[in-house]
Amino acid sequence: MNCVIERNSVKALGKAIHALSRIGNELWLDPMAKGLALRSVNAAHSAYGCFLFSPMFFKQYSLESGSKQGSKAIKCKLVMKSVLPLFRCLTSIERSVERCHISVSTATDRVIIQFFCRHGIIKTHNIHFQESEALQAVFDSHLCPNVLKAPARLLADMVVHFPLFQEEITLSITPLKVTVRNYQQGGKGPMKTTYTEMSLHPNEFDYFQIGLDSDITFCLKELRGILSFAESRSLPVSVYLDAAGKPVCFSVEDVVLEATVLLATVTDSDSRDHSQPTESLTPKISRCVSSPAQPVAVSQGPGSRSCTVPDELIPSSQRSHVISCPGATRLPDIRESTCLSVDSQEWTSSASSPASTKVCSLLFNALSSQQDEDGCAAQLPVLACYSDEENTDDNHPRSPSL
Amino acid sequence: MKFRGKITDIACLNHFTRVVTTISKLTKTCVLRLTPDHLFFILPGKVTNGGVGMWCQLLQANFFQEYQMEGVTSEVQEICLEVSPEPWSRALKTVQSAKSVKLKLTRKHCACVTVAAELPTLSSVGRVVTHDVPVDVIPRRLWQEFQEAGVPDFDVSVYLPPLKTMKSVVDRMKNLSNFLVMEANLNGDMNLKIQTDLVSVTTHFKDLGNPDGGPSQSRDPEVMAEVTVDIRKLQQFLMGQQVNPSKALCNIVHQNVVHLVLLHEDVSLQYFIPAVA
Repeated sequence: MNCVIERNSVKALGKAIHALSRIGNELWLDPMAKGLALRSVNAAHSAYGCFLFSPMFFKQYSLESGSKQGSKAIKCKLVMKSVLPLFRCLTSIERSVERCHISVSTATDRVIIQFFCRHGIIKTHNIHFQESEALQAVFDSHLCPNVLKAPARLLADMVVHFPLFQEEITLSITPLKVTVRNYQQGGKGPMKTTYTEMSLHPNEFDYFQIGLDSDITFCLKELRGILSFAESRSLPVSVYLDAAGKPVCFSVEDVVLEATVLLATVTDSDSRDHSQPTESLTPKISRCVSSPAQPVAVSQGPGSRSCTVPDELIPSSQRSHVISCPGATRLPDIRESTCLSVDSQEWTSSASSPASTKVCSLLFNALSSQQDEDGCAAQLPVLACYSDEENTDDNHPRSPSL
Repeated sequence: MKFRGKITDIACLNHFTRVVTTISKLTKTCVLRLTPDHLFFILPGKVTNGGVGMWCQLLQANFFQEYQMEGVTSEVQEICLEVSPEPWSRALKTVQSAKSVKLKLTRKHCACVTVAAELPTLSSVGRVVTHDVPVDVIPRRLWQEFQEAGVPDFDVSVYLPPLKTMKSVVDRMKNLSNFLVMEANLNGDMNLKIQTDLVSVTTHFKDLGNPDGGPSQSRDPEVMAEVTVDIRKLQQFLMGQQVNPSKALCNIVHQNVVHLVLLHEDVSLQYFIPAVA
């Protein structure tokens, strides 16, 4: 892969990397025909971010690596700590960098990032990468009953009232108002913290569709990155939300790029009885709204089972297993079953997190290393599983990835 | 016990926010004493604070367009609360463009002061933000600590040099020593001195002027009154100041205490730094 980015766009790329650095410690680079995707996921798999830059974003964009004609574009995984410092000071990049070349050298296992700066200075950075399967999440925003769209400024104004150390917030939406408040985990006890609540009227949003009153709690820190990115480009942000427990999607797009952040939300099991209707937590898998329908080019690592993704609504997938958000460690694998829904009672018993709150893990899979460690028996429980190319057929439109 | 105050004027809101922010930089918790005419932010000079004391007095009419309070009993028209000014400062800083900000004493899961702001929007319905900041009500038996301390008989009273200059001097001196000597005389001279094994540094300020009504005129104007203080406490005081006050002076009781007084648009802030033993 080989691409050249012009001066103004270098800053946008830097901002995207900043936003992704708030999510995870590793950066996945996935050069595709439809553009270059930068992705990241957090350790608990409860937050995922993807920035897709179309070929139009670049001055030049080619999937071939230099001399090796016809070689496949390599998908790589970089350590965020190696990449972020290069883009740390965006103002100085804006001032001095004229263009940026990014290329992947398979011979040396390095991603080469070159900054061509003023006064003829060229800074070359060789960053080691690990070859990796693409990280992808499949999320169906079409099926979200609640959709909001607002200028980034509005969302930023909503979250500004919360201190930077505030981990999680709760967003409540009804036809009459939208409320954001801070979320205190039960364990805090008598500790006296400030309770902040902010509400506004639905007509402040550019688009407000509500199918279901919902109350979702998610991690604020991971969201701030994409909000700041959207504000810097003055783009409106679309929010797709569903009931508590289902992921919430924040997405931004313009002519040359699309950015999406998916965050897991807390389910409060105390408020639900155990005859938890399976459909409330069942991910429905079909096409993702913003990307054009394209085959999901994901191959699975050895030892994992492929999961068919039929179009009808089956309580599918190894379901959301329970992780406390954020930053908690993954639970040990719960079961091997394939695309069967997991009885909620069984979940509860195998859950190791506090009974009162559970978070549905986000989905999908980053393959390779994790799967290899876990071996065949391991099923990384997922909310939405992707389909393997071999398993899709004409009846089932392939799920586009984000 | 009731308290409700409303600020609708942007300048007042701004000023109030600056006062609260200054207080929040000086101390993590303090006592808020409310009377029908005044608000006091008080830090009694206890050993737990390292002996530092603070007294900040505001005339409520200068800030609030509406102000109602009812004290703990009908005879005692006062309320004393232990508050943490930092969340207030954060809450107020983000609502500087509000149409109105109300401060109310409320009881949610515990006693709180609620900061409720109405933010302007383009549409007819405003945005409402509320912050419930927990506070502790202080029982009456502890109130005598929070009465205004008498001003001590000081030996020298002198106007302070520009606070920014003092701050940059003190910041650099802090790298060299933990203790600083402040001395001044009735001739308008002030010195800040530090002394270590390797080095001693003195910064001299001249022609600062002495306020009238100062201590006994019989004192020799050249003689310095000095106090050795913990430099971090002085630095903390200087860090918190955001605006140059209209009047800033310093009273020194020889080897005892430094009493700093700032006056800014009728908000008076007094800060006591004790001598190091």
